Amino acid sequence: MQWTEIAVTTTNEAVEAVSNILMEAGATGTKIDDAADFAALQPTFPGELLDKSSVPHQESGAVVTAYYPATVAITELVPDITQRVQMLTQFGLNIGSGAVLTKPVAETDWATAWKKYYHPVRVTRYLTVVPSWEDYQPTDDAEKLLVLDPGMAFGTGTHPTTALMLQALEMTVRGGETILDVGTGSGVLSIAAKQLGAGDIYAYDVDQIAVDAAKANLDLNPIAKDVHVAPNDLLKGINQSADIIVANILAEILVPLIPQTWPLLPEHGLFLSSGIIADKYPLIRDNLVKTGFKIIQTLKRGDWYGIIAEKPGADD
Amino acid sequence: MAKKVANVVKLQIPAGKATPAPPVGPALGQAGINIMGFTKDFNARTADQAGLLIPVVITVYEDRSFDFVTKTPPASVLLKKAAGVEHGSGEPNTKKVATVTKAQVEEIAKTKMQDLNAADVEAAMRMVEGTARSMGFTVEG
Repeated sequence: MQWTEIAVTTTNEAVEAVSNILMEAGATGTKIDDAADFAALQPTFPGELLDKSSVPHQESGAVVTAYYPATVAITELVPDITQRVQMLTQFGLNIGSGAVLTKPVAETDWATAWKKYYHPVRVTRYLTVVPSWEDYQPTDDAEKLLVLDPGMAFGTGTHPTTALMLQALEMTVRGGETILDVGTGSGVLSIAAKQLGAGDIYAYDVDQIAVDAAKANLDLNPIAKDVHVAPNDLLKGINQSADIIVANILAEILVPLIPQTWPLLPEHGLFLSSGIIADKYPLIRDNLVKTGFKIIQTLKRGDWYGIIAEKPGADD
Repeated sequence: MAKKVANVVKLQIPAGKATPAPPVGPALGQAGINIMGFTKDFNARTADQAGLLIPVVITVYEDRSFDFVTKTPPASVLLKKAAGVEHGSGEPNTKKVATVTKAQVEEIAKTKMQDLNAADVEAAMRMVEGTARSMGFTVEG
């Protein structure tokens, strides 16, 4: 889809009002480049080195930018936005030049722009994520490759939540297990499980875009070609039992998933969950325990947690 | 280890619902950020405010890793909340859709003071009042 960028040059004083005009015209968000923000910029995060001379910025005034899809009649929108911006002077706001500029933007520009920064990364002891466009050979016999085209589905392997799950799989897969991969996204966890020796794998995602992306990624990894992928809302209606269930999704979505996993796991079956931001960890832990799971191990990277939980056996 | 700042990007996007569509895609794609990584982080951290438009300042480091902070919602959102309306007026000079008091304007100006980069409370109030009137709100008192 083609988009049109509309950029309004104004002053710090009118940024809020201009942003509101662009939003009410149908934008889903705005980008703000404000010289006053840059002047007030201080180091924000621990270990951050801020050399302001090397950071691109707005020299003076402010520019508020919004984007509109090709379905919007831009020729009608621009005069309307221009008039609304000019009117701000009547409400006591200094609009500066108030210039409204438009520029066509192709979707491929942003979908691929970041790829040039994406390189093979050995995420765990044995697993290396390799972008599909890179020619990479393992450096030793133990290294297993997960070839991915990250595209528009989550799971490039380098995000802490994915890394935690890869680590959890490496710790738990012994060989031959049946695995359910809930919210598969890019399919990265199914590919990793196959590389670690898992047996049958069933991968699900509620988003058809992710299902298609996962299928494309599985095709890039011959070992994972027999993974079954299908659209499904969590594990609703699924009767396939499994030795291990993996889910790298947000905490709010893990809560309803937890009771769905229980009947599908045998005694000593494992549920590996990730995507849990620090302040949601107690929520997931408590829900797991309430359902009957035993927490075997908690993994942490940055603000993110992963949990390895086991369905206890009669002998426990 | 010191992470050197390569870029700083400010967006106003709906909490809990960020997608790679604009403005996120073009802004962060140019900055070299893994767009899906950002949207997942942002949506997780802002899930409690889902749907509310909030400003986010993203700091991009030289290795293309990133961090971000969210700010208080924009003045326009706080004004709509204060007035109890969903939208501003399409014809703000002739068609008034809501009323806010000077005290409410002052309260919002104080809440937003730091984010607005205004010189003082009076300047911040002028910005908030101007925004209110540009939305077809009458400012009383």
